Amino acid sequence: MHQQPAGTTRGGDIDMQNVVKDFGHFRAVDNVSLKIASNEFFTLLGPSGCGKTTLLRMLAGFEMPTGGKILLDKADISLLPPNRRPINTVFQNYALFPHMTVAENIGFGLKMLGRPKAEIEKVTQDMLRLVQLEARGKHLVTQLSGGQQQRVALARALAPQPKVLLLDEPLSALDLKLRKSMQIELKRLQMETGITFVFVTHDQEEALTMSDRIAVMSEGKVRQVGAPDAIYDRPADRFVADFIGETNFLAADVVSVNGNVARVRLASGKEIAARFAEGTQPSGKVTVVIRPEHARAAAVSAEADLKGTIQTIVYLGTDTHIHAVLEDGTHFTVRQQNSRSGPCGFSTGEQIGIHMSDDVAQILRD
Amino acid sequence: MTISAAEASEQVRRKDIRDRWLLSAPALILIAVAGVGPLLIVVLYSFLAPGNYGDVKWQFSTDAWFSVLFTRDIFDDTLSIADAHLSIFWRSIKLAIATTGLCVAFGFPTAYFIATRPSHNRQIWLFLITIPFWTNMLIRAFAIQEVIRNEGIVNTLLMKLGLIAAPIPMMFSDFAILLGMTYVFLPLMVLPLYASIEKLDFRLIEAAYDLYASRWNVLFRVIVPLVKPGLIAGAILVFIPALSSYVIPRVLGGGKNLMIGNLIELQFGQGRNWPLGASLSVTLVIIVLVAMLYYVKNASKSGGAHG
Repeated sequence: MHQQPAGTTRGGDIDMQNVVKDFGHFRAVDNVSLKIASNEFFTLLGPSGCGKTTLLRMLAGFEMPTGGKILLDKADISLLPPNRRPINTVFQNYALFPHMTVAENIGFGLKMLGRPKAEIEKVTQDMLRLVQLEARGKHLVTQLSGGQQQRVALARALAPQPKVLLLDEPLSALDLKLRKSMQIELKRLQMETGITFVFVTHDQEEALTMSDRIAVMSEGKVRQVGAPDAIYDRPADRFVADFIGETNFLAADVVSVNGNVARVRLASGKEIAARFAEGTQPSGKVTVVIRPEHARAAAVSAEADLKGTIQTIVYLGTDTHIHAVLEDGTHFTVRQQNSRSGPCGFSTGEQIGIHMSDDVAQILRD
Repeated sequence: MTISAAEASEQVRRKDIRDRWLLSAPALILIAVAGVGPLLIVVLYSFLAPGNYGDVKWQFSTDAWFSVLFTRDIFDDTLSIADAHLSIFWRSIKLAIATTGLCVAFGFPTAYFIATRPSHNRQIWLFLITIPFWTNMLIRAFAIQEVIRNEGIVNTLLMKLGLIAAPIPMMFSDFAILLGMTYVFLPLMVLPLYASIEKLDFRLIEAAYDLYASRWNVLFRVIVPLVKPGLIAGAILVFIPALSSYVIPRVLGGGKNLMIGNLIELQFGQGRNWPLGASLSVTLVIIVLVAMLYYVKNASKSGGAHG
């Protein structure tokens, strides 16, 4: 039905058109349209309750959309039950069958598809090798550690060779080190198998690390879709800017617009260059965002773009966060890389000047 | 005075053991006095001779045990198998198995329904399930009689509607006994099943659907294996009282459709053969014991790694 050897063009592109999901009076997913390409690593990112999991459950078939359509390789699958979609899920808490062995769990999908025993046996062995659990096939899943269970869940979902693999916060229960190595592992599997991965997470770092593209969601809506660097460097609105990474927000007045760069005047009276999104025409009072790593702290001088007083200094190993309060009361964070000579060299309460290189500020769309 | 670590841990261990015995003592005493004691008396009586007007004569005899299985012809002294006893035992076992089966068939969907309600509604449903317990079983048996007898509610209604010309005879049959026992014992199946299903991780059902399982496969490869403890508990709770049922077959089965319980009662009453009654009782205990051992052994065998 949907079996093709890995690596060939095998489809798996998703087209969601104006998808809506209501639970009673609550609109969990609000008119979402997304296209996900074949073999893309696509991430749905957002805080809890933003509708990302509901969207994933509609892709899996556990929920039916209230409105709109979901197409898989141009065929409408909106109303197909989960067992008739070539889509498998890795569940948040793995949902492994506790009464079955590791091998039985992995072979379950193929068994339900009525595949011959020899094929099930072979694929199960391949999958065990893929997730490096060759010696564990006969164990009960309850005897495995969290990380191992995670890999069994992955193998179980991959074994029937789905066109799309859905991952619902699969790494959230793992410790940091294991999570890092699983992130690399997942990326490798996605590239090797040619399967489309749709990954749900609230962890922005995880999303930035693994994804080809990210859709940032909040309150049931998609706020921005784009590559990780695009989302990080050019956030579309205040929500995205705030949710992805640390950000400084500054009030400013637009002085002039030249091409796609505007000159804006900050509260300190200094003018800086700021980019803005295509198709918008900034004017009057705007908000600009500046990432902490794009600013630099120095002794107070006339050239400084901003002046402030250091409130706290947080040492983070590779770099130091300097939290300052500007003259107009706005909070501003500077992130400086630590050198061999030690941390930043400032102390709490000290006056500093903050410098920004050109072209780092971004005007937010209202 | 100081004591070594080994001595201290030995003391703790002894205290643990003492506490364990102390805590289980009330239950153990009750079981010994009210359970094992009377059972030993029954076993003792089964090896005595019957008195003339009931009671027993204090002389050793295996006649009672003999007549559980065989009958001696009054005229020519030939032996034959006690067909009457055997057929009543066999009927009782069949009816108890059928009752257990029907209780699973009706109880599983009920328990599943309750377990999948929002949590504040479940209490109400469970409460409704226990309502029949408020009424004495005898009353409930007569109530069923009122429903299914020839002039009862069902027949009257069907005749009034013109669907049937003459009443359908339902009383005093295996059907009536089965209906009564299923009705009376159903809560004993629903409650343990509910306890098991409520603990079920419903994401496992989603996972099975996601992995191409049909509804049938979800039920028999995921749900049933996982709620097996509840199923076994319910089956035991229904099978044992159903097998030794007395009131239901007495009221709904009439004089012809005896079960073991009625046969035993007969020996202590009209039959005036206490030793025979006692040996039939012990036989019943042995049947239940064998059935349970077989069941538990089987359940633990297939409850392992099979999917």
